[in-house]
Amino acid sequence: MSGTATPSPLNLYQLRRSCSSCSLSELCLPMGLAAGDIQRLEDLVAPRGPVNEGEHLFRIGDPLRVLYAVRGGYFKSYMVEANGREQVLGFHLPGELIGLDAIWPEKHQCNAVALNTASVCELPYGQLTDLGRQVPGLQHSMLRLLSKELAISHALAGDFSAEDRVAGFLMSLSSRMKARGHSETQLTLAMSRRDIANYLRLATETVSRVFSRFEEDGLVSVDRREVLLRDVERLNKLGHCFSAGG
Amino acid sequence: MVVGVRFEAAVVRRYDVPGPRYTSYPTAPQFSEAVGEGDYLKAARASNDDPIPRPLSIYVHVPFCAAPCFYCGCTRIITRDRTAGTRYLNRLQREIELQARLFDRDRSVDQLHFGGGTPTFLSDAELADLMRFIDHSFSLRDDALREYSIEVDPRTVDDARLAAIAGLGFNRISLGVQDFDPDVQKAVNRIQPQEDVLAVMSGARRHGFRSVSVDLIYGLPRQTEAGFARTLEQVIAARPDRVAAYSYAHLPQTFKAQTQIKTEDLCPPEVKLALLGITVEKLTAAGYVYIGMDHFALPDDELSIALADGSLQRNFQGYSTRAGLDLIGLGMSAIGQVGPLYIQNHRLLDDWAAALDVGRLPIWRGLWLTREDRIRRAVIRELMCRGELDLHKLGERFGLDFSSHFAAELESLAPLAEDGLVEIEPGRIRVTPLGRLLVRAIAMRFDAHLNQEPGAGARRFSRIV
Repeated sequence: MSGTATPSPLNLYQLRRSCSSCSLSELCLPMGLAAGDIQRLEDLVAPRGPVNEGEHLFRIGDPLRVLYAVRGGYFKSYMVEANGREQVLGFHLPGELIGLDAIWPEKHQCNAVALNTASVCELPYGQLTDLGRQVPGLQHSMLRLLSKELAISHALAGDFSAEDRVAGFLMSLSSRMKARGHSETQLTLAMSRRDIANYLRLATETVSRVFSRFEEDGLVSVDRREVLLRDVERLNKLGHCFSAGG
Repeated sequence: MVVGVRFEAAVVRRYDVPGPRYTSYPTAPQFSEAVGEGDYLKAARASNDDPIPRPLSIYVHVPFCAAPCFYCGCTRIITRDRTAGTRYLNRLQREIELQARLFDRDRSVDQLHFGGGTPTFLSDAELADLMRFIDHSFSLRDDALREYSIEVDPRTVDDARLAAIAGLGFNRISLGVQDFDPDVQKAVNRIQPQEDVLAVMSGARRHGFRSVSVDLIYGLPRQTEAGFARTLEQVIAARPDRVAAYSYAHLPQTFKAQTQIKTEDLCPPEVKLALLGITVEKLTAAGYVYIGMDHFALPDDELSIALADGSLQRNFQGYSTRAGLDLIGLGMSAIGQVGPLYIQNHRLLDDWAAALDVGRLPIWRGLWLTREDRIRRAVIRELMCRGELDLHKLGERFGLDFSSHFAAELESLAPLAEDGLVEIEPGRIRVTPLGRLLVRAIAMRFDAHLNQEPGAGARRFSRIV
């Protein structure tokens, strides 16, 4: 669709932008690090971009070279099952790390693709672990991010209704957008309903039916990819047991 | 609620200039041949990906007519060869197949419209085949929410045919009447006795069509005030749900059939204006609600209800009640709209057929709406369908300051306000009843494409009245 977010053109200023001046640093790896440690971290960070819509960062089996921190745009990570079916593992927003699943056995276990024009920072994995030995806060930061991913997969495997799942998904997006300084009630979905359904382990039609029901019940209003959360309280109640991370 | 239209001939005459009908904004002449199949695939795919994909509206163009009506400006083919219809249907099936592949099956077809040409040029068996094939390829609905309409030439149907058409699922019918005056009918080569037309109308009711719509044309050759008044009275007595009274656009250079109309038979401008006046007066006096431009409807008709509750829309068939559908155009010259993309099929039968014969969508041209287009489309829609524009609301919706964004346009409305077409209040533009008659003139002030090319309108568009 032509309505995808227009990428902000990368300029030299942005390329030189460091972790300490990055607006996402409070969400990303530098969170909780002392200024001096952030300085050491940003020495290894290599900004890269732009990544075009549909372009892969890595595919299953690629050796683990770098971890990626999303700087702009959305990514989807997914596996391909033996029968060729895709299984969506997650959606990654700015400030989130991609590639953590490859830490063992140092090979990527999934594919990561840009859902719209995006940009990332590359974090060479070897150097990162070396630095981690010297900066304990960094290890903690990585564990925190890993733990979040685990919580999400546990929630997905749980016994939740379609309503719970969709509400939980919306609330998760909402809180992540809020943490990034965006509106928590006006969401623009970069992912297709097929991807949402696949991610939530629901049929595509079911996702649409739940969205329609939410709309009828005054929980949301939907105009193409724009979703307005009208009743956050009720959505939270529905979705809290399935809070897919934050 | 009956909205009267006070008729002021002098003002109407002043605004009787060529202008688009704004069945779309931007209008079709802005479409570009650089936009093609790849764009359409992209738009269709994206439209399936929405959390709640929009329901579908399908337009099917059947271009054939057995004889030319001299006034006609539609894309059509005159033939008595019935096999032309059969060949067309074979290719149409191919087009349906190609199109159906692009849209998810859980998207119901809420609207379906067969237009022409003459859809009833096709036999009952052919129409049934076509409907079966559409049903097989898309998800037609059989509940009351469906709006399935067909344009019917009253000369081509009898009671049995009406029953057959109703049996296919059509629940709306629109009849080309134009004028009952035999003298006019002769001058435009469309002889259809009034009794026959009225019989089709009552037949349509009997066979359960929920909505019966009648098309009239004013400004036809040899038309007189007395004759058209009689036609209006007879139509009103039959109580169709909707009446569309179109202005005849004499553009013989563009529409070849019109060269058959004798210049001396043409309606003088003052008579044409008087005919419009009679139309508005008689229909509103008889209880019809004036919807806008050339459309009238009974107060309990969905169009009147949509006008009252603000949900009225413009689409390629004129006014419509449903917003938020993706429109698929099938058949030569058909226009579709999927998400932010307008797309039009080849206008010539050979081009359309050639594309399908090599398995390609028969796309001629199209247009991606820009953000600015979307803003202006919303403005024009508010003016044409709601008769009112809340400047603050619109500004908020698009994140702009209306008064500065549209400073020049607001200034250009001042003379229209003086002439009583609009009332400009702080934060609001209101279209007066007179303005609704001339609403194209108001909309034109917001048409960025038209204003880029002064004088282009005269070549491309019919006159407003």
